[in-house]
Amino acid sequence: MRSHFTLMLIFSILVSLVFAFIAKEGARERAKYFLYLCGSFLLLSLLAGWLMNPFPLK
Amino acid sequence: MEPEPLPEEAIVVVTRTGLLRPLSACIAGLLVPGLGHLIQKKWDRALVFFGSITVMFTFGLNLQGRLFGPDFSDLFSILKFTADAGSGLLYWLAWLNGFGNGTPAANTYDYANVFIYVAGLLNLLVVVDAFDIGMGRKQ
Repeated sequence: MRSHFTLMLIFSILVSLVFAFIAKEGARERAKYFLYLCGSFLLLSLLAGWLMNPFPLK
Repeated sequence: MEPEPLPEEAIVVVTRTGLLRPLSACIAGLLVPGLGHLIQKKWDRALVFFGSITVMFTFGLNLQGRLFGPDFSDLFSILKFTADAGSGLLYWLAWLNGFGNGTPAANTYDYANVFIYVAGLLNLLVVVDAFDIGMGRKQ
């Protein structure tokens, strides 16, 4: 598995799952928090990548 | 100047549960992710924590990440070791069996290390959660 986006997706899902179970009680609250966190991870990472796009690696 | 007395609720919580249960939950959680919750009969949390942290750690190893051994020569080495070793027996078993040599030339090396660090750090957070449950501060 070499796709950075897939790895980021897996990372976001696993971390969000743990945080949702630590921070919230009840299935509904946890599901909402999980979606919020996971979506934030993905969107903010894409945004950061987009902002860094103009800068060359070397 | 005399110290302020603890609030009555705090005294009731500490004396009702004692320290044995939260400390044993901490030790169990430090050994195996989720075990601290399992011994307190929090089945759903135990399953999720064990599954997530183990998968994350395994991903890190499979993506050619490195396990940093006990090296206390500088601050960053200490921090890397602490983050890695937070996974408990997962770390020690892998390290003692020679896994996690790491391939810095691999394009997944940095990702892999982050997976391993975060697995350990999440487990430390999970241990604190188990302690709070044991102390009666949360359900």
